[in-house]
Parts: sequence; structure tokens; C-alpha cells
Amino acid sequence: MNFSAQELRQLALPLLACLALLAAGSALITWTEGRHAAAERALTAARAERSQAKERLMRIAEEEREVKEKLEIYRRLKDIGILGEEQRLEWADAMARIRTARELPDLRYRIERQQPLKTVPGKPANVEFYASRMQVVLALLHEGDLLHFLGDLRASGNAYYAVRSCSLGRTGQPAAISGLSPRLRAECEIDLITILDRAAKA
Amino acid sequence: MKRLVYFTADDHSVYTWSGGKLAVEAKFPGDDLGVTAFREYLSGRRGALFYAVADLAGEDFHEELIPYLRGADRELVVERRLAQRYRDTRLAAALSLGHVRGERRNERLLLTSFTNTQRLTPWLDALAESEAKLAGMFSVPLLAPALAARLGVRAGRCFVVTANSAGLRQCYVDEGKLRFARLERTLDMVPEALAAFVRSETGRLAQYLSTLRVLPREGPPIQVMVVAPPGQRAAFERTLVSDTRLSFLTVDQTEAVRRVGVKSAPPGVGAEQLYLHLAVRQPPREQFARREDRRSYVLWQLRRAVLAAGAVGLAGCALYAGASWVEVVGARAEADRVQVETRAAQDEYQRITSAFPVTQTTTDNLRATVVEFTKIARQTAPPERALVYLSRVLEDFPLIELDTLQWRVEAQPGRSARAPAAAAGAAAADAARAPTELLEISGRVGTMRRSDYRAITAEVQRFADALRADPAYQVQRTQLPFDVTSEGTLSGDIGTGADTGEAPRFTIVLARSVQ
Repeated sequence: MNFSAQELRQLALPLLACLALLAAGSALITWTEGRHAAAERALTAARAERSQAKERLMRIAEEEREVKEKLEIYRRLKDIGILGEEQRLEWADAMARIRTARELPDLRYRIERQQPLKTVPGKPANVEFYASRMQVVLALLHEGDLLHFLGDLRASGNAYYAVRSCSLGRTGQPAAISGLSPRLRAECEIDLITILDRAAKA
Repeated sequence: MKRLVYFTADDHSVYTWSGGKLAVEAKFPGDDLGVTAFREYLSGRRGALFYAVADLAGEDFHEELIPYLRGADRELVVERRLAQRYRDTRLAAALSLGHVRGERRNERLLLTSFTNTQRLTPWLDALAESEAKLAGMFSVPLLAPALAARLGVRAGRCFVVTANSAGLRQCYVDEGKLRFARLERTLDMVPEALAAFVRSETGRLAQYLSTLRVLPREGPPIQVMVVAPPGQRAAFERTLVSDTRLSFLTVDQTEAVRRVGVKSAPPGVGAEQLYLHLAVRQPPREQFARREDRRSYVLWQLRRAVLAAGAVGLAGCALYAGASWVEVVGARAEADRVQVETRAAQDEYQRITSAFPVTQTTTDNLRATVVEFTKIARQTAPPERALVYLSRVLEDFPLIELDTLQWRVEAQPGRSARAPAAAAGAAAADAARAPTELLEISGRVGTMRRSDYRAITAEVQRFADALRADPAYQVQRTQLPFDVTSEGTLSGDIGTGADTGEAPRFTIVLARSVQ
């Protein structure tokens, strides 16, 4: 069926209305799609933020656990004087105290100059480990004196005492009647290790 | 609101139809005065929607056979056949009765028209002039198959008999398709007389159709569906007794109205109300009005379709937008939930940082200090452990006399060579650098004659074996008082009788990994 121009004009209004309805529908879709995209973006951002927050939380929790664990050791090191400047006078006092306390016939020592210890790479620059090598010569009445000496030395603190070598031999002297002449001679090399943390607060 | 023009031989009525309710709006005589009045009536209803239903005698039915065709070709052939059959084809229709079985598949057509179309054309012209939307021009017989189906006859042969205002309408429907119809005028009759009239006219119709061979002479009885006027069913049933040729089934008009779905109709209206209602609710595809007569209606339908398409499009868009909005709501709810989790994590972070242990240095320094110190401590060892171990072993060897002990910690360069090549990681490197404490034991076996070298050697070897008792310790080197190996030099002083008294020396190097 062919329509006249007048009849086609009658179709114009419904066509316009149809187009308007379709345009309204398209606009509605465009608007909701926009909202949808925005909501998805917000969700992605929220998820990223959550991931970041959880990661940060995990890191801080791990750091807290590590700090709590290491802080105890750190405090102990500080308390016994391993952390801090060398206390050479304290060492000398300790040697004298031990000799007297253990009634050692002879005790000679020599502490060499402080040397930095080699450490692993990546360590913070403001933490340094130092070692001062001490050579000790002891005259002993029996072997136990050496063990007591080393024990007392560790207990005196002010450094970490890393024994590098110890030799123990007979003096060759015959046993004295009084029984106080040394029968053994010991020579030890001990590293007196201290740690200097320049970031440490007093 | 829809309007129906009901054409009869005497007068023409206009009904309004709304939601199944019929009401008479106007009535016009069938002459020229009636046409004029109809034009006046239409002048106040320009563009109204009309359905035309003709209930007239003299409707022609003629069967034709056309070749199997489709589309425009079929239309052309049908138009030609109608033109050959009827002088005026303005109100002519061709109803398809199906295809003949066989190779050629010819199509059977029922051509139908009114013998006097001139009585109707002025009325259709009036509708066209008023720009009324003519949905279709139907005759009552065209609507009979729909009525038969509504009354329960969907297959087989049947006569549908109704008492309309125009007269007694009889329609022959075969397998849901109209085959023939006739209208017989009735005067006011008592129920019994009308029933008898129905009986006799139905018999005549059956006889006539048999003569034309439209109905088979033999076969099962033909079902006759009779719609009795209200309250006359009992009288009809008494009269309409079935026989071998006709099987009567009477339905009261009230019941038929209910089954068809007419909500209400003016009092006194005959069974035509059933056809009028079906013309609106279930119009058949085939009808009499030509395309030109229905132009306004088609245009109106097109406009409605365009608007409906727009509405459907909008609804589709709204549906899609709704689904999208549901996702938006879901995404927002999810984002809210995620933000709650984020805030909880942030709060927990704040709680931890606020309660963070107070350190006297930075975390990095703390970590470096402890880690490095632990590593150094792990690489050192006290000599006491080895000395105590030696002392315990010596308790079982009273003949062994020690001269010197040399304890030291040193790196084991040989261990790196033993490290597997694949273990190039830090752990392997640490293991390779792991220091070892060494205890060099020098002594002699006392109270034994120097010449008793077998006993001395055995005692030293027994001592060395005892030092191996703890698997942590390894005897790294044993230097016996006498070099009994083939590589060494073995010397002796036999027969002089002189014994220097000095017991031969031995050396054992004991090793233990510091870690």
C-alpha cells in the first residue's frame, strides 16, 4: 500500500514520538552505563585502597612482631654494655677483679687497637661493629682456672667476648711444697666486640 | 471505544463496544434517509474506529480451484477469479479452504460476496468520507467458525444455527472453515414454532448441501450447534431430536454469551451480539472491505505500531538500564563493603602504630644490630665445651697424659669445595663460611715401655676412637707415636737395652662445627 504525502505527514508525529522515546531510552542507557562505569571505577579504586591498606597492615604487623622480638635482644645488648663505645677502663678493672677473685698467679694482657668488623652488605651505615683483639697470658694452678677466667670475663660485660684461640701447656715447673706455684700456662686471643649504633638515643 | 455497524435487511444499528460491553448508540433505516442520518451521525465522530458486520440474505458462496501460488501472483489470480465471478468486487472476499492433496497442490477457494452490494456501498462511502477507521467489513458467516470454536466445535462438520434480529442464520463450518451460509427471515414465533422452523430449515440445508455434494450423502451425523433464544432451550431440545443425519446440540443464548465473553448487551438483542463481539475480539483475516476502504485504519494501525515500537524500545532500554542499575547498586554496595574493610585495616594500622614498641633506635638499625650480632655470636664458640668434653673422655684413659692443648676457631676452607655447585644461595655460602673449632691435643702414653709400641699405638687409637663417641666431634688428624704408615719412616733401637724413659708423643686434632 502506497501512502500519500498527507498520510505520510500523519506518520511524522508518531515517528518523531518513536524517535523521542528511543532517544530517551538511549539516554537512559547512556546515563546508567555512565553510573555503572563510575561505580566500577569506584569499586576498583576501593579494592586497590583496601589492598594497599591490608598490605600496609601486614607489613606493620610483621614489623611489630620483628621489633618486639629483636627489641628484647637489643635492650639486653645495651644493658650489658655491648652496645656503645668501648669501655677499656672497665675491661682493665674486670681483669684486675678476676685476677684477684680467682687468685691467679699471673695474668698479663694486651688489647690492640680497635678494628671495624667486616659485615654483610646492605647494613645501615650508622651501625658499626668493632673488635679489639686481646692477648691474654695466664699462669694457672689447674685447668679450671682458665674456664673460670673465661666465665668471669663474659659475666663482666662491656663487650662480647669471642674467643679465637687458647693454648694450654705445662710450665715444666715442679710442684711447690706450698702447692701455689703455677703448673700450667695459658695463652688466649679474644676479640672484644662492641657495637656502635649512631642512631641510638641515650 | 470501538463502534460496530450492524447491517440487516431492515435497518442498520450502531453499537458501541468497550471491554466486552455492547450498547446501542444509534439506529438508522436502510434507505437513503438512513444514509443521510448516518452521515450526520458520523460528522460528530470523525476518525472514530468502526467495525462493520453485515447480516444479510443473498450472500453468495462459490468454490474455486486455483493453482498453487504465493504472494502477488496468488493475489492477482484471486482478484481475477473474484472479478470473473462478481460484477462488483468492492465487497468480495476469497477464503482459502486449503490445498488439494496431490502433485499440483491446487488451492481451494471459497469466493463470497453480497448479491446486492449497492445497498452497502453508500454506508461505506459515508464512513470513508468521515475519515472513520474501518477495521473491516465482515459478514456474520465469516464469524461463524470463531463462534463454533468458542462453543466447543473445533473440528469436523457442523451447522451453527442462531436466531438473530435479521432472521435465522445457518452456517456450515467444515474443519473450522466456512463453507456455506444462509439467512431465513423469521417472524415472531412461539418457542416451539421457532424450534420446529429450525428443525425443518436445518433439514433443508442439509438436503441442499448434499445435492451440491458439499455434504457427503453417507457418513456420521452432522453436528448442529443451535443457540436457542434465552429461556427457550428446553423447548428447542424437545423439538430438535437428533437422527442419523443431524445431531442437535442446543445451547442457551445466555450460556453462549458467557462462553463467547460478552459482558453485557442491550435487552432484546438476538444472537448477533455473539458475532458483533467476535468481530472485535477475534476478527477473521479474510473480510470484505478493500484496501482503500481500510486505508485510514491501516494508517492508524501503522501510527500505533510506530508508537508501540518506540514504547517497546523505551521499555527495552529501561529494562537494560534497570539491569545495569542493579549492577550499579551491587557495585556501590560492594564498594561500601570494601571501604569498611579498608577502614578496619586502617584503624588496625593506627592501633598498631600507636602501640608500637618504643625503640631507642631506628627499626633498620635495630634489625641490623640484632641480625648481625646474632650472626657473629653464631660464628663464635667458647673453648669450655671442647675442654669439658675432652676431660670427660680422659676419665677412661688414666694412661694418657696431656702436654699441650691448642684450641682455636678457624674457617674451614675445604668445606666450600664440598658444597654442592647448585647450592649457590646465601645458605650454602653461609655453610661454606661456617667456622670450625679445632682442639689439638698433644700428649703421651705414660707408664708403658717405649718398646711396647703395639700397646702404645693401640691405646692412642682407642683414645682417638673414644673422642669420636660424640658425633658432633670429628677426629680430623691423628699422629701416632710411631708412624706405621707406608709413607712414613719407622725407626727403632733394639738390643741396646737402653730406654730413655720418655714416652712417645701423639697428637690428635679434634674438630667440631661451630654452628
